Amino acid sequence: MDLAVTQTQAPDFGPCFERLRGVNDHAHATLLEALPRLTRHLADADDATALADIIAQVTLEAPEAALAFAERVCVHPRMLDDGAALRRWALHGLKQRSGSDRMLQHFKLSDPAVFSDPQTLQLSRQFTAQVEGLEHYFAGFGFDGMSIDLHDPVDGNEPQPSPTLGDTTMQFPRSFEGITAASRDALYRASVAHAAAHLRYSPLQRPIGNRRPNLVALIALIEDARVERLMVQDHPGLHDLWDRFHDASKKNSGFDLAGLMARLSRALHDPSYEDPNPWVNRGRELFEEAAARDLTDFVAFDRLARELTAGVGKMHLELKPDHRPTPVYRDDNAVLWGPDEALPEDDSIEPEIDEIEMRPADEVPEGQDTSDIDLRPRYFYPEWDHQLQELRNSWTTVIETDFDRARKAQPAERSRRGLQTTPRAARRVPDRSVRLKRLPAGDDLDLNAVVDNLVEQRAGIAPDGRIFMHHGRRARSTATIILMDLSISTDKFVPGSFTRVIDLEKQAAIAVADELDSDSNRVAIHGFNTNGRHEVNYYCVKDIDEAFDAASRTRLEGLTSGLSTRMGAALRHATALLDQQASDNKVILVLTDGAPSDIDVVEDAYLIEDAHDAVVTAAAKNVRTFCLTLDRRADGYVRRIFGERNYFISDQAATFTERAGTVLARVLAP
Amino acid sequence: MNDSLDTLVLTDEPYYRGVGNEVELFAAAMERNLPMLLKGPTGCGKTRFVEHMAWRLKLPLVTMACNEDMTASDLVGRWLLDAQGTVWHDGPLTKAVRHGGLCYLDEFVEARQDTTVVIHPLTDDRRILPLDKRGEVVKAHPDFRLVVSYNPGYQSAAKDMKPSTRQRFGAIEFGFPPAETEAEIVMHESGLSEDIARGLVSVAIQSRELRGRGLDEGISTRMLIHTAALIQAGISVHDACALAMTAPLTDDSNLQLALNGFVEAQFGPR
Repeated sequence: MDLAVTQTQAPDFGPCFERLRGVNDHAHATLLEALPRLTRHLADADDATALADIIAQVTLEAPEAALAFAERVCVHPRMLDDGAALRRWALHGLKQRSGSDRMLQHFKLSDPAVFSDPQTLQLSRQFTAQVEGLEHYFAGFGFDGMSIDLHDPVDGNEPQPSPTLGDTTMQFPRSFEGITAASRDALYRASVAHAAAHLRYSPLQRPIGNRRPNLVALIALIEDARVERLMVQDHPGLHDLWDRFHDASKKNSGFDLAGLMARLSRALHDPSYEDPNPWVNRGRELFEEAAARDLTDFVAFDRLARELTAGVGKMHLELKPDHRPTPVYRDDNAVLWGPDEALPEDDSIEPEIDEIEMRPADEVPEGQDTSDIDLRPRYFYPEWDHQLQELRNSWTTVIETDFDRARKAQPAERSRRGLQTTPRAARRVPDRSVRLKRLPAGDDLDLNAVVDNLVEQRAGIAPDGRIFMHHGRRARSTATIILMDLSISTDKFVPGSFTRVIDLEKQAAIAVADELDSDSNRVAIHGFNTNGRHEVNYYCVKDIDEAFDAASRTRLEGLTSGLSTRMGAALRHATALLDQQASDNKVILVLTDGAPSDIDVVEDAYLIEDAHDAVVTAAAKNVRTFCLTLDRRADGYVRRIFGERNYFISDQAATFTERAGTVLARVLAP
Repeated sequence: MNDSLDTLVLTDEPYYRGVGNEVELFAAAMERNLPMLLKGPTGCGKTRFVEHMAWRLKLPLVTMACNEDMTASDLVGRWLLDAQGTVWHDGPLTKAVRHGGLCYLDEFVEARQDTTVVIHPLTDDRRILPLDKRGEVVKAHPDFRLVVSYNPGYQSAAKDMKPSTRQRFGAIEFGFPPAETEAEIVMHESGLSEDIARGLVSVAIQSRELRGRGLDEGISTRMLIHTAALIQAGISVHDACALAMTAPLTDDSNLQLALNGFVEAQFGPR
């Protein structure tokens, strides 16, 4: 009896997992088996659906990882308690190179709880807001291509890693210990400036040879001090910026090697600092001697580090394996050596007496075959996760096809008549370079007309009195991108006709381009289809400054249907392209036949919400979006994506082309 | 009327610190009556260079800043009225043509193309200026010289010179001087000490790295001189840099962050 009651009370989430069937049967079976245990940790059916969705999502990108994920959830159902953290964790896993060991490791071993700490999340958000400014700051030191990112989160008990400098990216820890909010911004800048000093002055990627950890760490410490000394010659203010983070002293740093090294760092940085330790003072002496000779001679500084290491050996001190450079702004110096070799966990305690072995940097294998490398430009765009209410950074990859910047160089031959259908939209913008002279009324006196008038008056002729002038207006310029959906569904026939959807789209594009394209109303014809988030194909039939000539018409004819419709990514790319244009009006006209979908997405609303976010983002950049669709059931989602008045459903093949023109006229009307 | 341009002859030498051989080149072009086109970023010393050369060549300097509102009449002249009737009033260009002088048209591409064609007959071997309203053809004085300047950086493609205009000119391209020289200029113009001047120049050089990242142009020599003058007047370095360099340059908060970082990298945290 009791049992029956519990069973009726406990909600059955089995049907929620049904969507996994066929996608990942293994995972589906695993989840169903563990269902009784999971139920307690799932709040409601939405939670269960979200879990199934995210596992399906992982499956579509990495089936092995998804199975590991499902098994993990069944063993540790506690993971389900914080759904948002679990989702963030899973998405973070998907950011690893797909199919890689790292991705599998992530799903097997890493802990979702690291994504649930609200304070760290808050810090990450604040950091993300600063990234662009810090990249500008980096560029100011001459390193234009460097990007800035966060480290992977670490488990609660583990210490945060130091910043890491790579070839193209610098990674920051998600939080810094003992750093107040006030000095955090300065810390980021201090880190970037220190990294810039390395990139400018350090010999990078040296082979580590057989150096022991103590020597590696001391070479790095001396190198840090050396490049900072060099950097301060050009940027003296950095000394004070770094200064505030040097707080080591006999009192608070102790006598272990890490403490002594922190004190040495400070002694090398701050001439006024006095330290009682003979080793620290010896280090300072040697450094100043070498610095007085030649700061750029890094080999001399290596010798010096070697001597100091010998001193450490005599004291029988050794470095902890989790040693991190001090002060906190300094990176882990991985960039000095090969990747992952900064501190080999070699616990040999014998003192360091080996000779430095100088070898040339690893030779790059020559004669690599580059013919099969895809050289098409790639762009990365975020995607909106409506469940987490945040953007997934660099989630989609847009690949431009058939964009040829050289084609633009040819002057476009356009019809000069401009937009015939929208007289209301024209003549809107005041333009001082257009002058209307000899008017009966106006803003300014037309000086020449005044003189003529008075001359006529004197001569006894009746003057005509039109002595004013006025600034004219010019037509409002527009840049339009016609964005054609080229997914496989456009290969179908339009109901009740013998025309394929894609042909209809082509006709509409031709009609609109022929009708509108002029000097003040420039039109581009682009198309897209997608094959998962890593492959959003974006085709260019006619670019905005290009003539709609035979070649581009041939390209248009050549377009075929295939793959799926990830509309948000295409909209974001079209927005980015329009953002570079200087027109008054910017419009994207989407021609489509159905709802957004993609092979690696199972959630119903996800792509619709993302497309909506792309539309909102476009609007913020003064780009209007409009949709013309053939799907007569499109009402619900098209309204959600584009907004109340910004779509038109034309389910008749006969009127589609005609509609395209009137729709644009409506968009361009004031 | 004949001596109307005498007041425009510069008596004191305007300071100009040469960077390359632009002084010799320009003088040689002027010697041969070749009209000159000076291009370069804003505030890099184009106008000062023209002043200096006018002084050096002992020519009166007639300056006109062009804008899209400017008409051909504004350049050439027009009929005006007095008590007796109409009188012709020479425009600045006509004055320079008639009496001999160096006519300098600043921001030349800002003027409308149909305005700028009035200089065409002046800039080929005819060297005449037809005043159709007055029915007069002014032959250029042997001392008449024409110099125009513009900034190719931020003007849109719509504002460009006609090829027929462009091809009449010789051109010198200006850039910002090397750091040493720029510091010297800042010191000379403001009287600031060398180390601060060098610091300011270094900030400017870093800011110029941000071109193409949302900044049209970096901090110019002119901005540096303004900043230096403020510092010299007793304003703190950080305040002066914010007031005359970083704050006016951009509204973008991310760029501000970087620019303030560059100031900090020279002069320490505030």
